[in-house]
Amino acid sequence: MHVVIINGSPRVQKYSNTEQIIAAFAKGLSEKGITFEAYAISNRKTWDTIRDAYIKNDEILIALPLYVECVPGLLLEFLETLPKKDEHTRLSFLLQSGFAEGCQLRCGEEFLAKLPEYLGVRYGGCLVKGDNFCIRFWDEKRQAQVTKPYQAMGKLFAEGDGFLREEAKKFTGPEYFPLPIRLMMGLIFKTFVKKMFQKTAASWGCRVPLDEKVYRKI
Amino acid sequence: MVLMVDTTAKHIGKAISEELLRSGKNAAKFELIDTAGMHISHCAGCNYCWLKTPGVCAIQDDYEPILRKINEADQVWLISDTHFGFVSWQTKNIIDRIMPLITMYLKFKDGQMRHVMRYNHQPDIGIIYTGDGDQAYLERWCQRTALNLGSRSLGAFSETNRKEAVSCML
Repeated sequence: MHVVIINGSPRVQKYSNTEQIIAAFAKGLSEKGITFEAYAISNRKTWDTIRDAYIKNDEILIALPLYVECVPGLLLEFLETLPKKDEHTRLSFLLQSGFAEGCQLRCGEEFLAKLPEYLGVRYGGCLVKGDNFCIRFWDEKRQAQVTKPYQAMGKLFAEGDGFLREEAKKFTGPEYFPLPIRLMMGLIFKTFVKKMFQKTAASWGCRVPLDEKVYRKI
Repeated sequence: MVLMVDTTAKHIGKAISEELLRSGKNAAKFELIDTAGMHISHCAGCNYCWLKTPGVCAIQDDYEPILRKINEADQVWLISDTHFGFVSWQTKNIIDRIMPLITMYLKFKDGQMRHVMRYNHQPDIGIIYTGDGDQAYLERWCQRTALNLGSRSLGAFSETNRKEAVSCML
């Protein structure tokens, strides 16, 4: 098996959470002796090269962040440039998001599950997991730590069943948080998390409240 | 105010507006934006509108006037061509870039994590589409999108059912 991995995030690679996830995942592939080549659509200039790799290979994995319940606009634009292929090609997805619960990604997952048929190819399943918003803010060591679970998923993928196995489905974690957890998290959002966001914003040079109203009141 | 954002190749928003005007004295106040010839980038996920310049997008192109209208509107109708059964990338870009209307802050609503909205007034969202759209999926996506804004979905309507969509604008 040789896998073409496409980072479908519009964010520049350097700050891409998806890129960090791919790195961990690919480590898992390598450990099982699987080779791969990786691309990122954030740089339009590379689109022809990525399309060529999509055409010439039969094991494709698109990793992407959830943007408003579905595929980011830029990835949608890229997908429209792909030619139709046949069932010898398998297309799998790794969908990640900021929101933590599984239920938040299901609408995006449904689109991805139907997409291979439009492209004429076979569906290899979709690995779904949230709670990834903060990866870009961590240092390298912590990044490696938080993305480590994806390494195991790389190993699982190397076994040849895409993300169609039960282990991949379980990877998502809870579909909803139970009420006590929500109450506790709600409190943390209003205190610790709020402060953390404000601190990050300050380090980015932000001098106004994060809920600043820019447009006049209506 | 009813806002229509038309990204279709055949500019079907014009005919829909005329349909709305024909509905007589009850015709809602509306605005039609046809994005043809406008430069509207995709959202690049930089997070600046949440963390660096809250409420302000870092990309300077023709989108900002649309964002202002979306913020004022009671209804936003996405008038879109369809690919893969879904809205076109042009329309997805319009929606991906509403992030400045949302804040970084989080809360739980109806059992799910949501962002706190920046403004008090939220528009309901509807879709009018051309081509072979996946009706059930478009409805699901529209509902989920509205859920994120704390508003309601107006539904997804094929161009051939545009009269029905117009009746929802009154």
